[in-house]
Amino acid sequence: MANEKTAARKAGPKGNGKNDPLGTNTEIGRKLRQYYDELMADDVPDRFTELLKQLEQKESDRSGTERN
Amino acid sequence: MGDIAAFREGLLEAIPSLRAFAVSLVKSSDRADDLVQETLVKAWDKQKSFQPGTNLKAWLFTILRNEFYSQMRKRGREVQDSDGVMTARLAIHPNQDSSLDLDDFKRALATLPEDQREAIVLIGASGFSYEEAAEICDCAVGTIKSRVSRARSRLQEILGVSGETEYGPDGISAQVTNSSAVA
Repeated sequence: MANEKTAARKAGPKGNGKNDPLGTNTEIGRKLRQYYDELMADDVPDRFTELLKQLEQKESDRSGTERN
Repeated sequence: MGDIAAFREGLLEAIPSLRAFAVSLVKSSDRADDLVQETLVKAWDKQKSFQPGTNLKAWLFTILRNEFYSQMRKRGREVQDSDGVMTARLAIHPNQDSSLDLDDFKRALATLPEDQREAIVLIGASGFSYEEAAEICDCAVGTIKSRVSRARSRLQEILGVSGETEYGPDGISAQVTNSSAVA
């Protein structure tokens, strides 16, 4: 428990201050980040790494031919 | 070749935040991933128009958002699914520290109009400045501010919470630190 609290405090957003309407001292601000962090923690599906590899491959093939 | 590899790395790094933003917009993970895929392809095709050294993440968010709205226009406006797909699909991790249930929060967030939802997510979660968010949403900084403010009031109203909490993490830590009680 103590660790969680320390972590929560350290994980404060940049520029969080008393005046930040979505800062760590606001319930909405905290929930919003919790919601988002959970989404961010999802593993990136393979389809995306595959896609980028393909795009890069295509690109290097093309620039190879364009360069005569 | 080096530039291309660096660009690819940049896209790869941005994927988790693009997916999170996409889910916030479309509410279904499958559609969100299609949106991210479209974004990556578009970004790749337009990579010459990206200026190295500028904010790649903001540039990608702009593409994703434009793609989202153009899909919406094509499909016609879909019926709002306030507490359906997204809420059902996302895992629930109850947080002991918090009095407000995350599931309730998601449901409340889903009821916001798109423009308010995207504004509060960009500012409160994605970590963009008001200026960057205004650029992404192609509107004035003041417009973003008022959308965020309306979104926040609406969420507070739905969830029945007030703005500041006296028992926030800082407050608790301060109390713990100041207390001389030893277990």
